[in-house]
Amino acid sequence: MSERSTPHHGHDHAACIELFTRLSEYIDNELDEVSCRDIEAHLADCPCCTACMETLKRTVAFCREVEERPVPATLSRRLQEIVAGLAAPKPA
Amino acid sequence: MAKAEKKKVEDADTDLIAAINAGRVERFQELVTRYQGKLYNFGLKMCGDSRDAEDMVQDTFLNVFKYLKDFRHETKFRNWLYRVATSTCLKRRRKSKYAPDRELSLDEFLPKDEADISDTVPQWAAQPLAQVLNEELAQRLKTAIVELPEKYRLVLVLRDVEGFSTTETADILKLSVANVKVRLHRARLALREDLKGYFKNE
Repeated sequence: MSERSTPHHGHDHAACIELFTRLSEYIDNELDEVSCRDIEAHLADCPCCTACMETLKRTVAFCREVEERPVPATLSRRLQEIVAGLAAPKPA
Repeated sequence: MAKAEKKKVEDADTDLIAAINAGRVERFQELVTRYQGKLYNFGLKMCGDSRDAEDMVQDTFLNVFKYLKDFRHETKFRNWLYRVATSTCLKRRRKSKYAPDRELSLDEFLPKDEADISDTVPQWAAQPLAQVLNEELAQRLKTAIVELPEKYRLVLVLRDVEGFSTTETADILKLSVANVKVRLHRARLALREDLKGYFKNE
């Protein structure tokens, strides 16, 4: 895919596959500087890998935005009763 | 030689835990109030069902109460709490009849043919997040998360939903950092495939 002259991007290109396996680490800033630079150089020259990276990044962003549901009142009550039972003085 | 004692981790819960362990048992309610929402939502994603999530939260707090005296503050309380919750969740699921976990391989996420490869960033990834995220998509995402095989789902929920670091996730699940990274990447790729399908049909 880094060979821009190729009319069709064969995604079996070794560099693309290598990048594909490390995309999450790249997104999470868990790679060393040299690896990051290599990936950025590849991305700059490979629109397919850029699209792949952006969609993965967006997937992660969606997960972080998942809204939380409120705790059902029945559960809160049940937990309060349990704690009250635990805190109650034990019969001698 | 005596084993060096690990440094105690102080956090926002340290004083409350000390009070409970010193006999102020009624203050356990404060701990419950603080974490019931997070645990319930964690349970929803792990169990996929509100009733199971509620039972999981109850069992988790009972286990936390039982073992709180043994908590050595070697990690943040929140991390330990999720370790208890995870183990409670896994025990509950093993009691019920679930199909064995499916393995996700990297190969299944590689493009199958030229038609599968896009050289442009699709709108759903290019537009501002707020313009794309709506109720229907959020529901689709939740379903896709619940449908992930359990061992991948656990890692994804802890890392990308709950916001734990890779090291914390490894610590909670007692896995190696490398293993967490492998599972997380495959889980994310599986979700991405689902989203691609959703936006293709939209």
